[in-house]
Amino acid sequence: MRIPSRTLLALLLPMAFAGCRNDDDVIEPAPDPTPTTGTLRLVVVPKWEGGPFAMNSVYTNVNDFRVKVEVIKFYLGDVRVVNGSSATTVKDVEFFNLGEGRDTLRATVPAGTWTGLRIGLGVPQTLNNADPIVYPSGHPLDLANAMYWTWAQGYRFLIFDGRYDLDAGGTNPPAEPFSMHTGLNDCYGEFDLDLGTGVTITAGSTTTVTLHLAVDHFFYSDTDTLDLVTENQTHGTNLPLALELTNNATQSFSVE
Amino acid sequence: MKGLLHTALVCALLFVGCRKDTALTVMVVDMPFPLELPPGAPIPEFPDDNPLTVASVQLGKALFFDPRLSRDGTVSCASCHHPDRAFSDTVAFSAGIDQQLGERNAPSLANVAYHPYFFRDGGVSTLERQVIAPVQDPREMDHSLELAASAVSGDAEYEHLSQLAYGRPMDAYVVTRAIATYERTLISGWSRFDRYLHQGGASAMTEAEVRGWDLFSSAELNCTACHSGFDLSDHSFQNIGQYLEYADPGRERISLDPADNGKFKVPTLRNIALTAPYMHNGAITTLDGVIDHFAGGGLPHPNRSPLMPNFALSADQKGDLIAFLNALTDERSIDQVP
Repeated sequence: MRIPSRTLLALLLPMAFAGCRNDDDVIEPAPDPTPTTGTLRLVVVPKWEGGPFAMNSVYTNVNDFRVKVEVIKFYLGDVRVVNGSSATTVKDVEFFNLGEGRDTLRATVPAGTWTGLRIGLGVPQTLNNADPIVYPSGHPLDLANAMYWTWAQGYRFLIFDGRYDLDAGGTNPPAEPFSMHTGLNDCYGEFDLDLGTGVTITAGSTTTVTLHLAVDHFFYSDTDTLDLVTENQTHGTNLPLALELTNNATQSFSVE
Repeated sequence: MKGLLHTALVCALLFVGCRKDTALTVMVVDMPFPLELPPGAPIPEFPDDNPLTVASVQLGKALFFDPRLSRDGTVSCASCHHPDRAFSDTVAFSAGIDQQLGERNAPSLANVAYHPYFFRDGGVSTLERQVIAPVQDPREMDHSLELAASAVSGDAEYEHLSQLAYGRPMDAYVVTRAIATYERTLISGWSRFDRYLHQGGASAMTEAEVRGWDLFSSAELNCTACHSGFDLSDHSFQNIGQYLEYADPGRERISLDPADNGKFKVPTLRNIALTAPYMHNGAITTLDGVIDHFAGGGLPHPNRSPLMPNFALSADQKGDLIAFLNALTDERSIDQVP
């Protein structure tokens, strides 16, 4: 059998070129000698009624139920710094897992003074609907974070799991499970945080802002109080409860 | 065009000429997979970023049957999608890892290349994304897709095919792409019914089967209102009045619309004789029982499909209808990948 030489050449040439490629040839852009941005470090600190909060400890909630929170995981998305009517997106999405110490967001922010933050609880729709396979290990949307709802091809925005006991005077560990997972684009909720006179970001430096997360507030807000007797499970199907929890949770953040 | 043909021919010769029992390690150039389509079959679409190639389908098939994708190495895709059952399961709910049961009947994978969405509620829009679900479902393979990819990433043949097909080492991306591509090759259309319909084979079906086809396509039974087209499904979502209250909300889980409660994707009827038990939850075990359900019109659920008229069949007619359904079984394997 004779293989046409022109065809062989066409097949082999690309291989030859591929073999010669040297990754060292890539020219990296020179670093900006005069940075105009700084780093904003947002640290989320969970609280219970203004005091310390610890996962797996027992607290009494707004309905006088004894509750033990076991898991709090969530996404913050489309994080913007605000100054007057100007808002600049500084982070597309970050993953938090408070039970495992993943509590910090870092964002590159234009130097200047910013008077507020606008943040989404959840994954912005464009990212939520995108193919989850493309994210590298360690990325907030990495499948390894086990936040992806495969059946709905979207991420869970908030996982709030634990146990409760209706007896406020009980002494045994709460045993009844509650498991509330929000997700689906309908449950994406935004909230604003006032930074008072402003937080100044200095070029080339890191500024830390502490966000308090009032876990006790997950159970109530001005408009929604969760009754764990009947409202203790949502996994995509119980949308009203998921929306209530979203509403409560977005009102649970404050700036230290 | 002539040049392309030359190139394809040379690639094929390189591949075939070097083939051993394992074959896979000697392929030096990837090439389009020669998918054979039965008469009447539409040309399936393959995503631009996941073309149909020899390396991709061979890798996909190997992964499909590889239990290393599960957490404890005991469950593969094929554990619940048996090739001899048109890639469906024989039980209502398949057993996954640690013998945990699923909540829905494993559907046939025949002709998934033509499906616009996946799962019985249509919640997933691509086969590539569908692959993620069983791997990560705690009741199926209970693995992280990345860990699953890592578990097979040291396999030299897999790595070779991965580089050929996707130009990258084995990872989660490759796993989803390759399995999806393999599944798209599972084209069903090799039944006596197909010969009768598309190849002028008037004698391909028996008289009873032809009578059954006439009944099936009659206005009185109205089966073809949903079971139509090459896949014998329009892939719409229908509530067939199986229950007054559904434990599984079906399409409503995705749409959040109560009007979709109890609606499930219309399944293909291809190879229906092989894919018992039936319905979204495998609750009906025989074709006889399925016909009885539809003849009765189903229960009066508010969302019950208006496309389901009550009908009455004699015993002979029911026999003819079942005979027709049996004629939908492929006469050859729908798996074309060696």
